[in-house]
Amino acid sequence: MSQFKYISPKTKEEVLQILKQEKSEACLVAGCSNILPYIKDKIISKKLLLDISDIEELNYIKKSEGKLYIGAGTTISDLINSKIIREECNILYQTAEQFADPTIRNSATIGGNLADASPAADVAPPLLVLDAVLEVESMDEKREISLKNFFVGPRKTVLHDDEMISSIKIKDDTINKNGYFIKLGLRQAMAISLATVALILEVEKDKIADVRIAMGSIAPTPLRLIKVERFLKNKKINDELIEEAVKKVRVEVKPIGDVRASAEYRRYVSGILFKRAFKKLTN
Amino acid sequence: MKKIPIKFSINDQKREALVNPNDLLINILRDDLYLTGTKYGCGIGECGACTVFLNNEPVLSCLTLAAAVDGKKITTIEGLAKGNKLHPMQIAFSKNAAVQCGFCTPGMILTAVALLKENPSPTEEEIKDYMRGNLCRCTGYVQIIKAIKTCAAEQNQLNLLTR
Repeated sequence: MSQFKYISPKTKEEVLQILKQEKSEACLVAGCSNILPYIKDKIISKKLLLDISDIEELNYIKKSEGKLYIGAGTTISDLINSKIIREECNILYQTAEQFADPTIRNSATIGGNLADASPAADVAPPLLVLDAVLEVESMDEKREISLKNFFVGPRKTVLHDDEMISSIKIKDDTINKNGYFIKLGLRQAMAISLATVALILEVEKDKIADVRIAMGSIAPTPLRLIKVERFLKNKKINDELIEEAVKKVRVEVKPIGDVRASAEYRRYVSGILFKRAFKKLTN
Repeated sequence: MKKIPIKFSINDQKREALVNPNDLLINILRDDLYLTGTKYGCGIGECGACTVFLNNEPVLSCLTLAAAVDGKKITTIEGLAKGNKLHPMQIAFSKNAAVQCGFCTPGMILTAVALLKENPSPTEEEIKDYMRGNLCRCTGYVQIIKAIKTCAAEQNQLNLLTR
């Protein structure tokens, strides 16, 4: 395996200092469940690995003033074991349960899944429909980035090379809503997603009061389907509406063909997954 | 590469080592400590054969840097038995013909032990779900699932008796 230096800082402050110095020569790592395969395959080659997995101040799930804060170093296992996530952020809980396997979940982190920015990142669609905001820090600056504006392409984000995600913030008006997550892969477990859907739906007297749809693996980045949402909002639910929405989903997604599926199949199945999620939440 | 000194406990024994930054835990275990119970299967985190406990939680040693275990506690399959006394899960696997070539077995057993710690009475679905990251090419999993169910039932019996 290629050579690199390894440092395991004890504080966030230390991490930011090193990042400011080393910039793109440094790579933040936590669980390493994704990074090490990249390094082994020579997809990534960095001078220095900065291990943040033991930094306590990055690992937490807490509520404060009606907002939910998840530290970037929180493992997927921590999400599953959290009562707050299971009860108040259930769509994220559903996602975490379908993520890899229990063993990998002990190492993999929510921040890592986002920062890697694969179009197939499983935590992205639920966080997109939860309107998550990332708190991002460097030595010089703290800023907030809406997750909707975070991804710019496959494995490309708006992060500067001296920045790190410190936490994920979810506001009160999105927690506790009814949500459903579906992951489709070539097998039932341990699969890189072929297509995913995250749907939050609020219905009042047969009319759609609120609808948020995000999908993964069907575009260069995880995608909020804004046009479909606009179409559905305030409409009365009936079969024709759903079929029309399915057509619009298939127009809004931008899939490619790859080893897992053709673009045509992804486009087709996007509509199916949306319909399944919609039916699940309206029964 | 400058070597990194690490201190850790392995199967309840305190050890120190000097490791390269790019050394993987699995290689330290197998090549330096001669604990060859942990197996190298796929090397990319898909088969579970390399499973060990790190601070009592299962992790994949093929995707864990040796430098990252400084100050931590590692348990390999060799650490399950107490002297000559096998762990109940090891006995259950052996009695229920859950072992053919044995390559997946250390990882299977450790993951199963972690499962029962979290969920002492899992249903068959819960067993399959928890064990999904451990692959077996020989058995077809039926006997493995039976072994885990049997072990869980026996442990629960024991717990009832010792109350």
